[in-house]
Amino acid sequence: MSHDLASAAAGGCHIFTGCGYPAPSIEDFIFKPIATVGGFQITKPMVLALFCAGIVVTFFWFAFRKPQLVPRGAQNLGEMGILFVRDQILRPQMGKKGDRFLPFIISLFFFVWIMNVMGIIPVLQFPAMSRIAFPLALTLMVWVTYITLGIRHNGPIGYFKNMAVPAGAPWWILPLLSPIELLTNIFVRPFTLTIRLFANMLAGHVLLLVFGLASWYLFSASIGLLFATTSLIMTIILTLLEVLIQALQAFIFATLTAFYFADAMSSSH
Amino acid sequence: MSGAGRGGGSAKGPEEPRGPTDGWQVVSYMLGGMLLYGGIGWLIGRWTHLPVLFPVGMIAGLAGAVALIIFRVSRT
Repeated sequence: MSHDLASAAAGGCHIFTGCGYPAPSIEDFIFKPIATVGGFQITKPMVLALFCAGIVVTFFWFAFRKPQLVPRGAQNLGEMGILFVRDQILRPQMGKKGDRFLPFIISLFFFVWIMNVMGIIPVLQFPAMSRIAFPLALTLMVWVTYITLGIRHNGPIGYFKNMAVPAGAPWWILPLLSPIELLTNIFVRPFTLTIRLFANMLAGHVLLLVFGLASWYLFSASIGLLFATTSLIMTIILTLLEVLIQALQAFIFATLTAFYFADAMSSSH
Repeated sequence: MSGAGRGGGSAKGPEEPRGPTDGWQVVSYMLGGMLLYGGIGWLIGRWTHLPVLFPVGMIAGLAGAVALIIFRVSRT
């Protein structure tokens, strides 16, 4: 958001000065490369992704470098995070036998969450998950894992049958319903997992841009001041809403991942 | 414990509601049904020059998806 506000400010673009509202567009999600390393262009979202991965790794390494029986400080916080993911996300979906996936789900949850939170940190101010490649890469990992899990658990034929035959349906309707079941399990699930995260972060960022830019654009020594104040209040309220959505999206992403894993491992669904 | 029963491979145990996942499962089925039969309807519509088959296919897919959801939920 900062770069847009800066450019709008540089133009001195205000209401009643004869210039239009600099509406945010998809351009705001395309960044000029910061640096080029051997023909590979490095952009802000990439740096943010590395930064976020670094934060998560560093935090958990720091929290558990010298684990103590009675946790204090960072270890306490880390354990709270892990217990939350285990008891609220993993166990309700997979039960105790899903505990071996705990590290994956924890990494996924905290990485997605921190990535999303970057959307409201001043200066950084960009949720990298609003570039579809990031959620897509995560989803690919989840998808490959749950297909592999299913095949290992039920055998290729058993798993295919599991994916194509909806449980509880009478046999005569199977020719009509099996294709839906198969398409849902193979294509729609990973697709919706990606789109949900991507679209939520994109829309949230655009909302903040709309009201953030409007606050500056409407700012003038006239009735515009009232509009600008309203817009600013909206920006603050929406920022709080975004805080909620960022955590919620990470939660849903991790929950659905756990659910897909459990589904792949069940012998009938 | 809902998760243990499911993960434990109890073949035909009744499914308990599991929060947000059931809702998203329903959305996935509806999307899948509309996508599949809408797509088939669209293709046949192009072939036979009857564009009305596209919405008809989508509705048929939606009906199929709803049937699928009902079968899955109501099985014992």
